[in-house]
Formats: sequence, C-alpha cells, structure tokens
Amino acid sequence: MSELLRVNNLKKYFPVEQGLLTSRLSRKVKAVDDVSFTVNQGETLGLVGESGCGKSTTGRCLIKLLVPTSGTVEFEDRDVAKLRGRDLKAFRRDVQFIFQDPYASLNPRMTIGEIVSEPLVVHGIGTKTERRSQVQDLLKTVGLNPEHLNRYPHEFSGGQRQRIGIARSLALRPKLIICDEPVSALDVSIQAQIVNLLSDLQDEFGLTYVFIAHDLSVVRHISDRVAVMYLGKIVELGDWKNLYDAPHHPYTQSLLSAVPVPDPEKQKSRSRIILQGDVPSPIDPPTGCRFHTRCPIAQFPICSEQEPELREVAPGQRAACHFAKPMPIALG
Amino acid sequence: MSTLLEVRNLKTHFHTRDGVVKAVDGVNFNLEPGKTLAVVGESGSGKSVTALSIMRLIPKTTGVIGTDSDILFKGESVLGMDDAGVRSIRGNRIAMIFQDPMTSLNPVYRVGRQIGESLILHKGLKKKEADERAVELLDMVGIPHAGERAKDYPHQFSGGMRQRAMIAMALACDPDILIADEPTTALDVTIQAQILELMIELQERTGTAIIMITHDLGVVADMANEVMVMYAGKQIEYGTAEDVFYRPLHPYTWGLLESLPRHDVSEKGILLPITGQPPSLINVPSGCAFHPRCPYAKDVCHTQVPQLTSIEDGHSSACLFSGDPGFRRETASPSREVV
Amino acid sequence: MSDRDDLHHDAHNPHTHDESPVDHGELRDAAGHSIKDQSRSLPIPPTDDIITDGGRTLWGDAWYRLRKNKLAIAGLIWVIFVILVTLSADLWVKPYFGDPLAMDTTLGANLQPPSAEHIMGTDKLGRDVFARVVYGARISLTVGVIAVAISVAIGLIMGALSGYFGGFMDTLIMRGADVFLAFPYVLFAIALIAVLGPSYRNVFIAIGILGWPSIARVFRSSILSVKENEYIDAAKAMGAGHMRMIFRHIMPNAVAPIIVYGTMSIGGAIITEAALSFLGMGVQPPTPSWGLMLSDARPLMVRAPWLMLWPGFAILTTVLAFVLMGDGLRDALDVKMKD
Repeated sequence: MSELLRVNNLKKYFPVEQGLLTSRLSRKVKAVDDVSFTVNQGETLGLVGESGCGKSTTGRCLIKLLVPTSGTVEFEDRDVAKLRGRDLKAFRRDVQFIFQDPYASLNPRMTIGEIVSEPLVVHGIGTKTERRSQVQDLLKTVGLNPEHLNRYPHEFSGGQRQRIGIARSLALRPKLIICDEPVSALDVSIQAQIVNLLSDLQDEFGLTYVFIAHDLSVVRHISDRVAVMYLGKIVELGDWKNLYDAPHHPYTQSLLSAVPVPDPEKQKSRSRIILQGDVPSPIDPPTGCRFHTRCPIAQFPICSEQEPELREVAPGQRAACHFAKPMPIALG
Repeated sequence: MSTLLEVRNLKTHFHTRDGVVKAVDGVNFNLEPGKTLAVVGESGSGKSVTALSIMRLIPKTTGVIGTDSDILFKGESVLGMDDAGVRSIRGNRIAMIFQDPMTSLNPVYRVGRQIGESLILHKGLKKKEADERAVELLDMVGIPHAGERAKDYPHQFSGGMRQRAMIAMALACDPDILIADEPTTALDVTIQAQILELMIELQERTGTAIIMITHDLGVVADMANEVMVMYAGKQIEYGTAEDVFYRPLHPYTWGLLESLPRHDVSEKGILLPITGQPPSLINVPSGCAFHPRCPYAKDVCHTQVPQLTSIEDGHSSACLFSGDPGFRRETASPSREVV
Repeated sequence: MSDRDDLHHDAHNPHTHDESPVDHGELRDAAGHSIKDQSRSLPIPPTDDIITDGGRTLWGDAWYRLRKNKLAIAGLIWVIFVILVTLSADLWVKPYFGDPLAMDTTLGANLQPPSAEHIMGTDKLGRDVFARVVYGARISLTVGVIAVAISVAIGLIMGALSGYFGGFMDTLIMRGADVFLAFPYVLFAIALIAVLGPSYRNVFIAIGILGWPSIARVFRSSILSVKENEYIDAAKAMGAGHMRMIFRHIMPNAVAPIIVYGTMSIGGAIITEAALSFLGMGVQPPTPSWGLMLSDARPLMVRAPWLMLWPGFAILTTVLAFVLMGDGLRDALDVKMKD
C-alpha cells in the first residue's frame, strides 16, 4: 500500500479580527496546530471531531483552498505548496472536494449540465458534444436522470444536489476526494443513500477519500482508519475497528459514549462519561494536554504542563495521552 | 392518571402560491403527566408544525387548522381559546424550547432578566423576586456562578449554556408540558449529552411531560417513553419506545432503523437506505404517501389511504399490511445480534 | 408529468434496481421476502420531487414573482407609458398641442389656466405646459438613465475590484468612496457643475460621478456575501481562473442588489436633476425640464398654481414608479423568499 498523501506538522493560524482602537497585540486562532498523518492509496481516512476542532480547516489546507501557516502537504511525494503551472493544474485534477452544504455548493445560476461539465471546461477536456455525453454518464453514475442536465439546482432536493456535487467531483477522474461533512445536511434516509454511493464509487474508480464529519457512526461506517481531533490536534489515530472497539484516549472515549445509541434498553444501561463544561477557546488553548480541563482522568501537574506525544498505544493505533488505556466504551 | 394533552385529528394546512401545503394532516395523540413523547420524522414530516399548532403559533394569515381538529389541555380546548386564554397557557403551562440557541435569546437583554420576564408576566412576581428566582433557575440547569452569569448578555454564553438558559426560561413557571423542538441538533455531541442528561434529571425532579421533536433516533432511544413516527404530515406509527425500536410495524420505520450506521456493534453492517426522495407536501402521492419509496407497495397502496390502526395494545401503524402477522421485521434491533 | 409517471413505474418495480454496480448478496427479512433489490441505493428512481416545471431559471422565477406584485407592475406600466408618450411626442404633441419652445407673446396668451386648447394651461411666456411636461420627460429620463448608467459602470468596476481582490485594493477604494460620501451630495454636484459649466450633459456627468460610491459599496458587500458560498470554493478548487470566477460565478449571483438599487437610483437622479435645474445649475432655459419648470413657477405659485402642479405631479409619479419597481424587484430577486 503506497502513501498518496502525507501531511507533516500542519499548522493553520487565523488572525483574530481587531478593531482600530483595540490592543495591537496580534492574537491568533490556532485552528490546526501541528497535525501529521498519511493517507494510503485506496483507503478512506476519517477525520472526526466537534465543531472548532480544526477538521474542516485541515481539509481545506489539503486542497490549497487555504494556505498553511507552516508544515507541508505532500501529494504523491511532491510538496503541494511548491506546485506551479502544469503541475498545479494536474494536482487540481487529481484532488477534488465534496462540500457540506448541498444548497450553497452549487451555483444557482448554472444548469446541472454546466455545473458538472465545468471542471472539464476549465481543464480544456473534450469537445462540447463529448463533454455533454460525459456529463450524462456522470449523472447516471451518481443515480440521477441524465435528461436533467438543463435543469437548475433549486429544482432538486438536498440529496439529489449532493449527488450533483459528487458528479462534479468525479468529472476529472480524481485520485483523492476530500469529503467535508458530505451527509450532515441530509435527512437520515438520504444520508445512507449518499454514504453507499460514495462506497460504490470508491470501489468502481479506486478512489481515496479523506472523510471529514462530526458524526462518529457515519465516519466509522465509511472509514478504514480514523483520526480524532480536539482543539486543533489529533488526539487519537488508528484502524477503525481498534479505535471504536478499544479507544485509548479519554476524549475518544467520552465522544463515543456521548453519542446516543438507537436502542432504548442499551442506551439506558450503557456506561456514560459526561464531559463537564465547554470546549476551550482555540485562541488561548490550555497548556500541556489541551483536553486536561475537561478530562475525567487528568492528573496534575503532568497533564497541565507536559504536552503528550501522539504515541503508539497498540499496533496501528496512536493516542496523545499520558495515561492512555483502552476502554470498550461503544459496545457498552 | 388524567390525560394532560389530547390532540384530536390535528390538521394544519398552509396556503401558498404553489398550492395547499398539508403540513400536518390528521394527527392524534395523548400525553400523560411526567411522560416523554418523541415525535420523529425527517424534514418536512410535520413534526415542528405539530408543536407550533399546540402552542397556537401558526401564523393566521397563511395557516389554517382544520375545523374538526381539536387540542385539549387538561380537558379544555386550546384551539377554542381567545388570545388572553392562549397567553395564560403559553410559556406558563406549556413551554417550548427551540433548535437554535443562538437566535432564541434576545441579544439586548441580560440573560437573568429574560428568564425572569415570564415570572413577572405569569406569576406576578416583583422584579427583584424574579431576578432572584432566575438565578436559582440558572443554578438548577447547571450554569456555574449563576449569580454573576445572570447579569451576562446572551453573546457571552456558549451554545450549550444558551440552551441551558433556554431550558431555565422554559421551566421558570413549572410548566406541565415542555415542548423541545430539536433542542440538541445545533450542539456538539458532548454538549448534547449534557443537555439530554439535564432534561432527564429535571423531568424526574419536576414531573414535567416532554414532547421531544427530533430526527435523531439515538436521542429518541435516550429520552422517550412513547414514540410517534411522522411521514408527509401523517402519523405512520405510534407506540412505546420498545415497541417502535424492537417490534416496528411500518416499513418506513424499518427503513429509518436500517439506514442508520451504528457505532455500538462490533462489525460494520450494511446500510439499507430508503430509496427515492421525501415527497413534496403540495403533491403528496396518492394512497399511502410512502408508497413510491416502499419496497413492499402493492397496487392497493396507490389508491387506498391507510388509517392509523391499533395492531397490538397501544401500538398502532398506518400501513395496510401491518395487520398481517407475517409482515414483520424482527431484526431491527442490532443489539440482538451482539452477545 | 410524464417524468412522474416514469418514476412511479420505477418505484413499483424494484427490479429496475438490478443495474446496481455492487451486489451484496441475498438478504432476507424476517418474513422471508427477498430484500436484495433494496440493498443498494443505486440507481435511485430519479426526479420524484421536482416541484417546478423543467428548466425554470432563477431569472424566470423572478419575473414570475414580479408579475404578481401589482404595485411594481403599476410602476413598470407608468414608466413605459411615460417613455412611449415622450418618444412619440413629435408626432402628436407638436402638431396638435404646440411646440414646447414656441412662445406666444400675444397679450393674454400667457398664464392661461387649463382649457380645451391648452389642457394644462400656458406659462409666463405663453408656452403650452402640456408640451413642456411631455418633452421634459425626455430630459428627466435621459438624465436619470445615463447618470445611473455612469454610476453603475464605475461602481461595478470599483466594487468588483474591492470585493473580489480585497486587501490594499479594498482599503484604497472604500476609503475613496467614504471621502465621496462625506461631502454633502447636492453641494458637491453644484461645485462640480460650477467647474464643468452648467449644461444638460454636465448634469448627468455630475450625478453619475457622485453616484458610484453607493453602487460600489452595495456591489462589494454583495460580492462578499456571494464569496462565502461553497460553489466559489468549488470553482477555486477545480482551478478556475479570475475571469471565470468573476463573470461566471460571482457576477451573476451578485448583481441582483445592483438591479434593485440602480432602479431606485434612477428616481433619485431624476430628483437631483430637478433640484439642480431648479437652482439654475442644471438644464438651461429654454430647454423644457421639470425642475426648471418648477423653478419658473415658484414666483407665480399663487397666480398660476397649475404651473407648479403639472411638473410636480410628473416628478412625483415617475420617481414613485421607479421606487415601486425597485421594491418589487427586490422581493422578486430575493432567492431566499423562494423556499
């Protein structure tokens, strides 16, 4: 298995908006703070965490929608930041993005045909008639009626729009697709359709996915490996089965225990960890381990002073905790 | 035990440019004191409109409630009340919390003052007494340093704290019924867990009945005694939580349960989505509204509208075939597969 | 409708699902029915919730909504009426009602009240007021349209540069706009005309130049909000160039407020022209202009009130017509109102 994407010490800080008369001290939101991971050819890496953990920012850095503050993103062993001209164009072909909001991600003034064929137009692929038939094939592939290419996005439901977005991302036959919360805006019954569609497409076209979501169940279902993020850092990373069956990091454990299970008896009897308080501000993250302010097993002063390394806790599983130990929380 | 709330054949229709939207079309249920009823459905199923109808918050200009509909609160018709009557109940006997904690608090008033407002209005408390009570309420919903935080403005609260403040406000007058419309949808899971825990705890303490409107079956499993499943403005299944999760009767409920990815079973299951798209409420399919998406639909389903029929004691379904004992899906609970 | 029929056919015949790319094997439900056909989502029966007729564009939708707005249509009809009347004036006003410039110095021919011969009376030089009002519309409409066209042309470029590129460009242009807006509008126009010399052409140049900062600001904020949309990121991620970004993705979605603002500005420009002409800084006599006519009528307000009435009425109705049109366009172009 070869590495398709490698992320090394990625950091992305945003300056805090300040008024003219407030203090000149420039403060930064540390949205992503030293994140490293790899994505193998053909696999799905899930990136999961609560709002503000930096998962979307990471995703946007991967396709150069955002420029990292420091660190590198390497695609097929080449630093993405240094790509120019033809190489950059090739990168834009190979790596695609699927957006969260099926309403905001399609230009309302363009027809479905124009939207899906736009990547081909931008990259100068095919003649008009060739593109038209390719668009019809793509629409068929994602389960839409190919006759509909003259219709506008507002005539479709959320699930259908998400299919249109997927068709657009497939147009250039990419190698890697970053999916940023692709199902979280959809109804439950439609979510399953889209998740299945993404799996089918992966099998059919040999795609590699980075799947960003806050829904742990969806991430588990689609991912081969999963990275859990908290306040800009990866706190645990591992094979999906190990991570869900035996989470080592107390944050992963509490996250899994917080998701209610659709089974009344089990839900009422399972052990639960309820975290106290809110996620601290990423402008001033806690010292030491960022989770120590809410952690049920924190010990002082080590957790508030020493930042834990992301270290191997089991074969193929790494966690950033001084006191990492497995706890089979999900099966409860 | 006397019935607290009875909803009889509720029909709420909206007249729009494109036609009549039958948002709620014949809903019946009873709510007993201290119980939690979960109303489950996807967007456009009519679950929120049901809640707004109970609160008499349907805009009069476009919304019409059927003449044969009735909503009885402790035996008294809410629909028949004049405005003063409605005001004496709304926020006092029946309180509501909404999905978005960011917009449901008024940004220009202090949090404590907003909570105290309904006490001044309904209970005739003096300003000072109301302020004191507001601090107690904030403390009750788990806001640390409630005395100081009561003087804060909403923007100084985080999302989870705002939802706690909303709950405090809703519970200020010790309502008999709390209607919660997707109260945790906008929150992160760890915060959701806090809020659900809080609601369960407060219910035990105050005995308030809860109508929980949600699309999240996990939340339903966590909270509900009884469950009502809605589809296209109609009630399609009604029963205890155990009935609906373990012995679901309606193919739509089967579909919902089987399309959910689970993180509590050790293997990855196969997701069985419901095919097709949710129906438009203006052009509701003929016969059973679910028939275009139902794998078991027969010709009769295109023409005959199924009525909600009691199949077992207290467990009813609106499917023409639910009466057939062979038409069952026993495997809906994956907990049975895992030992 | 044929789409819908197809769909029903599809939905009822699960075997059309057999082209599923992946087969996950035979699955059976509790009753032993094969549910294999339901096991995948692909391909779903398409089109079942397409609510509108095929291919209706957003512009088409906007026109549909505008048509429903009676006041806006009244405004549109009035503007078209005024344009037709003034354009055809050479054919029927001059021969039958009189030349707007033809003075009649015969004794008693001036300051006549409305009569069969002069339906709006005559002014102090014996000219037919009706003819002057009709020809005055040419001046007012031309000034209004050309002035706004100049403002829009400058404003669009400035707003686009500022909103799309941001940074230093944005600061420079917006501070420049602030400086323009800080001057009292009419005084600035007078000063400008004082430099350029009072003439018909310089009026619209002055009004046009003064109008750009508002247009630029409206367009800039509109661009900024369009830029928030994910389809802009999508275009960026596929490697689209600046030209495609601006003309394909941003412009078409950002111009709606400019159409609204521009329409209303025409009314404003007509008023400014009238004001400048009234003050003697605009169109010069003997050219018929509504502002000039008001100015001439002022000392005669008591003796010949009709002199003030007719041009005043013309200004009022025409400006009102543009404002109503703008208002209607705002509602019609607001995509949010659709859902």
